Amino acid sequence: MATLKRLTEIAKKRPIMLDGATGTELQKAGLPQGVSPELWCTQHPEVIRGIHAAYTDAGADIIYTCTFGANAAKLSQYQHTGARELNKKLALLAREAAGEGVLIAGDIGPTGYFVEPFGTLTVEEAVAIFKEQATGLLEGGVDLLVIETMMDIQEARAALIAAKEIGDIYTIVTMTYEERGRTLNGTDPVTALITLQGLGADAVGCNCSTGPDDMQAFIAAMKPFSKVPLVAKPNAGMPHTVDGRTVFNMGPEEFASFGRGLVKSGADMIGGCCGSTPGHIRTLSRALEKERPLTPPSEPVSAVTSTRRAVFLDRKKRLIVVGERINPTGKSRLAQELSEGSMVYLKQLAREQASQGADLLDINVGAAHIDEKKTIEQVIYSLAPFTECPLVIDSSNASVIERALRLYPGRALINSVSGETEKLERLLPVMARYGAMAILLPIGDGGVPETAQERKDIVCSVLQKAKSYGLDISDFVIDGLTLSVSSNPQSVAHTLEVIHWSSSRLKAHTIIGLSNVSFGLPGRRWINAAFLEMARDKGLSIVIADPSHITGPAPPAEEASYLDLARAVLVGRDRNAARFIAHFSSAKESPKKETGTEALSPSETLHSAILNGDKEIVAGIITGALRCGYVPAALVDDVIIPGILEVGDLFDKKAYFLPQLIASAEATKEAFSVLAPYLEKEGDAKRDRGTILIATVKGDIHDIGKNIVALMLRNHRFNVIDLGKDVSSEAIIAGIKRHKPAIVGLSALMTTTMTGMKDVIDLVENEGLECKFIVGGAVVTSSYARSIGAAYAKDSVEAVRVTEQLIKKE
Amino acid sequence: MDDPIVFDTVPIQIPTDAIYRRLGYRRASTRLSDEQKEKVEQAIEYGMSLVRLQGTYLRIPIQEKKTGHVSLLTGVVLESRNLAHLLKGSCEIIMMASTAGSHIIDAIQADADEGNLARAVVLDALASEMTDGALDWIVERLNREFRRENKRLTRRRFSAGYGDFALENQRYIHSALRLKSLGISITEYFILIPEKSVTAVCGLEHFL
Repeated sequence: MATLKRLTEIAKKRPIMLDGATGTELQKAGLPQGVSPELWCTQHPEVIRGIHAAYTDAGADIIYTCTFGANAAKLSQYQHTGARELNKKLALLAREAAGEGVLIAGDIGPTGYFVEPFGTLTVEEAVAIFKEQATGLLEGGVDLLVIETMMDIQEARAALIAAKEIGDIYTIVTMTYEERGRTLNGTDPVTALITLQGLGADAVGCNCSTGPDDMQAFIAAMKPFSKVPLVAKPNAGMPHTVDGRTVFNMGPEEFASFGRGLVKSGADMIGGCCGSTPGHIRTLSRALEKERPLTPPSEPVSAVTSTRRAVFLDRKKRLIVVGERINPTGKSRLAQELSEGSMVYLKQLAREQASQGADLLDINVGAAHIDEKKTIEQVIYSLAPFTECPLVIDSSNASVIERALRLYPGRALINSVSGETEKLERLLPVMARYGAMAILLPIGDGGVPETAQERKDIVCSVLQKAKSYGLDISDFVIDGLTLSVSSNPQSVAHTLEVIHWSSSRLKAHTIIGLSNVSFGLPGRRWINAAFLEMARDKGLSIVIADPSHITGPAPPAEEASYLDLARAVLVGRDRNAARFIAHFSSAKESPKKETGTEALSPSETLHSAILNGDKEIVAGIITGALRCGYVPAALVDDVIIPGILEVGDLFDKKAYFLPQLIASAEATKEAFSVLAPYLEKEGDAKRDRGTILIATVKGDIHDIGKNIVALMLRNHRFNVIDLGKDVSSEAIIAGIKRHKPAIVGLSALMTTTMTGMKDVIDLVENEGLECKFIVGGAVVTSSYARSIGAAYAKDSVEAVRVTEQLIKKE
Repeated sequence: MDDPIVFDTVPIQIPTDAIYRRLGYRRASTRLSDEQKEKVEQAIEYGMSLVRLQGTYLRIPIQEKKTGHVSLLTGVVLESRNLAHLLKGSCEIIMMASTAGSHIIDAIQADADEGNLARAVVLDALASEMTDGALDWIVERLNREFRRENKRLTRRRFSAGYGDFALENQRYIHSALRLKSLGISITEYFILIPEKSVTAVCGLEHFL
């Protein structure tokens, strides 16, 4: 590739110089507002020629064509069709202006649309748009392509896939990061680097959004992991407005003063973005004449990414956990939801596993009644924006894996590639094309090899074939191949041997599917724990498991003997696991520790449960208290009522917030519900403090506030009739006539519906009915309440207080 | 006028602080035990699996601005002095919307029906903050995109129903943004369903 050769030659001596801004230069030259810069350039070719020539004179090695917005999607905003021709024309103009001494980069910018899973433009539609543009640029004779100012990693991927599918053309990809060091979708520079260099970008970096000072940190963060040259194309400082005009605050000297820092941080190609001028590039070029780019890091990089996080596999550091729970086998709810296209439980499983410590999530959607190819798309699009954990694509179907890799906006791990000839020939090119990593399962055409040596032979054979696709050991994770110890007691030794050999001899990452080892045995957690410990000793770096079993609390010391029993099974000392099985058949696996509140009296415990909102334990406490001789009415008067008053007071003082108030109210409700039969026996009906009818008015569907008020009033022993939400005035009047409430509570959230409150009050007057009103809701104010002749409460605690006052006045 | 552009997923982080604030949490005064905090966090986690945050926006050129109204190129006239004032330097109006989807609303209702109001209020706050956060994200995203066109969005945005910008405008916004295609319907009282759906308008103005 001539471009690569040329760039390599320059890079031996000094950083490669890129040009500066085109847009701000065009504006200076008279580009009007609201027109397409690209179309304007075709009408004013002398202007763009002049800009290209000025950057060439300033010392740029690479000139970007003026085609940033010349894709079909952007051009359609100007009712222009013919993106291919336009790109060709502008590429020819650039070549003509710059001459043969410099390289011309065909500039590709964002479409302005959002690519799935972030938008509705499909990956294939985006790829087609970029292919059309890239084709025009190549027809215009560009030497390389540059995909720039990308805010969305998926759009950058689509453009890069397009470039690579057109041909073997040198392609630079630069993303734009804000000062916080992330794109708006949350991608950081290192994550983008791993994803894009895996996908085949020839150089990766950042442009726009920040000045050269802030950009140094982004470049420095990427350098330790870069296999490709790094690009820095910063703005000339940050924009600010002076006399109504946008000005970038860095002049050429100051801008160039950061050049050395960028090179020291690891930049190999440097230029300017918004606000930079030929003067900036000239000064920068002179400043960097004698600077040598850093040598690339020699350590291989094994990492996978989501859109927001890179997970590095490091054999010497901590164990990486792959959550195994997203698999419909044996999970009827997941299978059912996936077959119906629902992703709710899937997301729950993803989030739970992440919070339990999973680093990666294994995704397997293969089951009867599930269209695996369609479902994997839905799953990827649901999880990719949702979880920070990179995904492990787990399927036995090569076309499912291929589809998943094309759509996944990160660098995925394939589960798995094996030595089976047909599968290998299909998957190695796919793995290489999308830059994925893969679990290497040492299975051959003859099935599962029994011995460690046979497995090692398969590993070597696969690695050898992978070389021809540009893949190496850092792209693989070798599976020790875990079989059930109960069906083959010798298998553990073979698995451990493969792990040890892979880790120590090949310096490879290794993985096991942990729970396979204990299949068919009781006391599985002990077998699993002992096996994991043994595998770790042999150099295991990754485990596929339920993360709650790996990252949970360590077993109590008194249970250490169980681990000894398990080890004996795994090393073959306990033949056929006879002692282990005998032990676990007669013993409980994990005696639960007793918990209690031994030091407190029943009334204190009940008070504490109400204050803490522990609804679940209230019934047990009350039953215990009654057994100890407590009188139900006394529990109400001495414990429950003081408790809810105390909670109300804490809420008023903001010592409690809403969830605590409601949890206490629900605990109280539970207490009353348990006590109700006893109170009835005691003739406690007199405690009914009056009837309150409550409703959300016609047209309003928001009722959570009304529900909270109803709960609180009931706990204060009011008889609450709740008519629900979206209740017509007529239905409320009918309710008043039927229940004869002392007070009517009305709720509304919207300005358009709160007028319904007045309608009800007017109707009550017209009908000659007698009752008081209390109103509330987001848009309701005390003055509005006064204007319609009602009392007002701002929240549920105040609603109780106001209700009590209104009842007292009666 | 172009078609509305849809964000099929709005990838914002959980606005935990905003959720706590909305629920009345005050750092200086609220006393929250580890168990109570755990319950709130679990509710937020649960809610996150139910939220499907989507957004959309549309650019519409402004034809005329007068003191009390703004006429759009589509022929629609938006009556509002406040809005006209906000748009005084704008050449286009940006309409936008976001929704948390229907699953979270169903879950809130189910919790309320089953007597789990404590979790329902957390889900409710989560959904509200997520939809508001989605609009903030759309604004930020558009500002970055329009920066290359030397344009930016007005600092403030208006929603129908606030100030003198009548809630009835929700009907036009719903139609222009084709919110039906996002599963959002509008009632005769101009309420958007699913409940946690919001719209807003702001201006697009030149830097220069």
